[in-house]
Amino acid sequence: MHKATEDVPSRVTANRSGALGLRLVLVMIVPYLAMMAFLIHSARHATEIAVVASDFSPAMIALASCMAFSVVLTGLFVFVRHGD
Amino acid sequence: MLLLLATASTFGVCGPAYSAQSDSQIRQAESSTIVFFVVFAVLTLLISFWAARRATNSSEYLTAGSSISSGQNGLAIAGDYMSAGAFLGLSGAIYASGLDGMFLAASYLASWPIVLFLVAEPLRRLGKYSFADVLAHKLRERPIRILAGASTLVIVSFYLVAQMVGAGELISLLFGIGYVPSVIMVGLLMIVFSTLGGMRAATWVQIIKAILMIGGSVMIAALVLARFGFNVSDLLKTAATNHPNGNKIMDIRGFAQDAVATLSLGVGILFGTAGLPHILMRFFTVSDERAARVSVFYATCLIGLFFAMLFVIGYGSIAILRGDATYASASGALFGGNNLAPIHLARAVGGSLLAGFISAVAFATILAVVSGLLIAGASSAANDLVVGLSGRQLDERMRLRISRIAAMALGVLGILLGLACEGQNVAYLLALATAIAASANFPLLLLAIYWDGLTTSGAVVGGTFGLISSVVLTAMGPTIWSKVLGLGPAIFPYDSPALFTVPLTLFVCWLVSIATAEAEKDWRLTQPSVAQYVE
Repeated sequence: MHKATEDVPSRVTANRSGALGLRLVLVMIVPYLAMMAFLIHSARHATEIAVVASDFSPAMIALASCMAFSVVLTGLFVFVRHGD
Repeated sequence: MLLLLATASTFGVCGPAYSAQSDSQIRQAESSTIVFFVVFAVLTLLISFWAARRATNSSEYLTAGSSISSGQNGLAIAGDYMSAGAFLGLSGAIYASGLDGMFLAASYLASWPIVLFLVAEPLRRLGKYSFADVLAHKLRERPIRILAGASTLVIVSFYLVAQMVGAGELISLLFGIGYVPSVIMVGLLMIVFSTLGGMRAATWVQIIKAILMIGGSVMIAALVLARFGFNVSDLLKTAATNHPNGNKIMDIRGFAQDAVATLSLGVGILFGTAGLPHILMRFFTVSDERAARVSVFYATCLIGLFFAMLFVIGYGSIAILRGDATYASASGALFGGNNLAPIHLARAVGGSLLAGFISAVAFATILAVVSGLLIAGASSAANDLVVGLSGRQLDERMRLRISRIAAMALGVLGILLGLACEGQNVAYLLALATAIAASANFPLLLLAIYWDGLTTSGAVVGGTFGLISSVVLTAMGPTIWSKVLGLGPAIFPYDSPALFTVPLTLFVCWLVSIATAEAEKDWRLTQPSVAQYVE
């Protein structure tokens, strides 16, 4: 039985981009966990945080920041890898 | 795609009240919905006949000949995520309790960088038809393909049942027809569509649907904001005033109750996306790695835009629909269920025409998602299960034939299970599928790509452990054990076991690989594609 894929990639190339990818995963996961911790904390201490109904709440800003960070980080990675 | 774990009763709670309303506006909406529905159904069939003429080999049928551009693939990936469950479920969750729905949206979006950084490029570089190609690149092919085929078919089947039940209930609700004809109609369309057109047809329907979905969402959001003079603060203030929870809708509520449960759900979503077969299949439809990563970027932008619109739609529905006797009862519950929030809102701000359009887009969404699932299942059945069990590669003609038969068989299975599960709350199957994807598929892919020490025994034992542990722990969780089966207090306290099963699967893979490294060394040295990894 032979392998379905024929071409074998360079191990060095795979390792270099792989190391970058693994580091960036941590860069994504840490803010995500921080956002989650902040949301839980702010929900449990809602009365202590001055939430003005007419504005975005701190929780909304945290969520929006995390979402924007996901998009920006993805764009940066694509931009940087285009140079390889 | 994800029918949302937190809105477990997304479609289950939708009763027949919607079509039973005596309101004349709703009756007008039904006729416009039918017109749009017929247009979409005819359009999708035309696309499938067009694609069928090109699908003369398995590469074209299963991966559209890897000729989809990065922009098109980005739209198709986004389309996979912009499911009826996400559109209706997230909006409904925000309508019911506020920011909890957006927490899920942020988690789904955060899973895409993980997919990009870890698996998108290696998948495109090493794979052809399924993610098992990547594993088979440096592990023994037969056991790996059998395991990958089994987990793929389990995930696809769970997803399919949940989508079919949701489709039956949603369509019977929107079009005023029975559950059985709804399931059969969707199922037959799905079978014709998938069997004939393959991945190219599924991709183009996803693209069209994604454009319509984003366009429709932007339109509703713009009309909502126009009502408040494009002042978001006014919108939020009105929403907080109308909702019985007041300012608390600006914070998460349900997810703040148990931090460990929320963390486990987050881990499942973050890593589950990188293990879902129908998502991973999308990376085989583009020509190279560059196109794969650019398509993820496009998809992330579009999904982010879509979720931003859902934020406006969700809070807009609180501000506009709550307290309006045309759409909601005195208690605030929407007629037909809270998940119809965007459709009611479309009618409130854009009239029956917009509501009909949005309803038909929801239908097109279901069709597109189930077609993608069938193609992923068919690909895995032909390339993983049959190859693994028979021990020989298939020729082109046989692979195409088996793929089509598998697509048809999965479609029939979907119809039968959909009919058998009428009235059941089957959304937990999606939690199960995501948990399996995160616990069984993702660790294997991660280790196969980034760790040279992974052995076949390590992958098989670890993958089997991830598959079984995620199924068992989810079954012993509160939703299935207590609510579905009614067996009393749950044995395992969390609905999503990913926080525990993902690291445990990685550990088992590592442990068994270390223990069997010496035994497999000779075999690995004889494999040209593997020898470079062996010290």
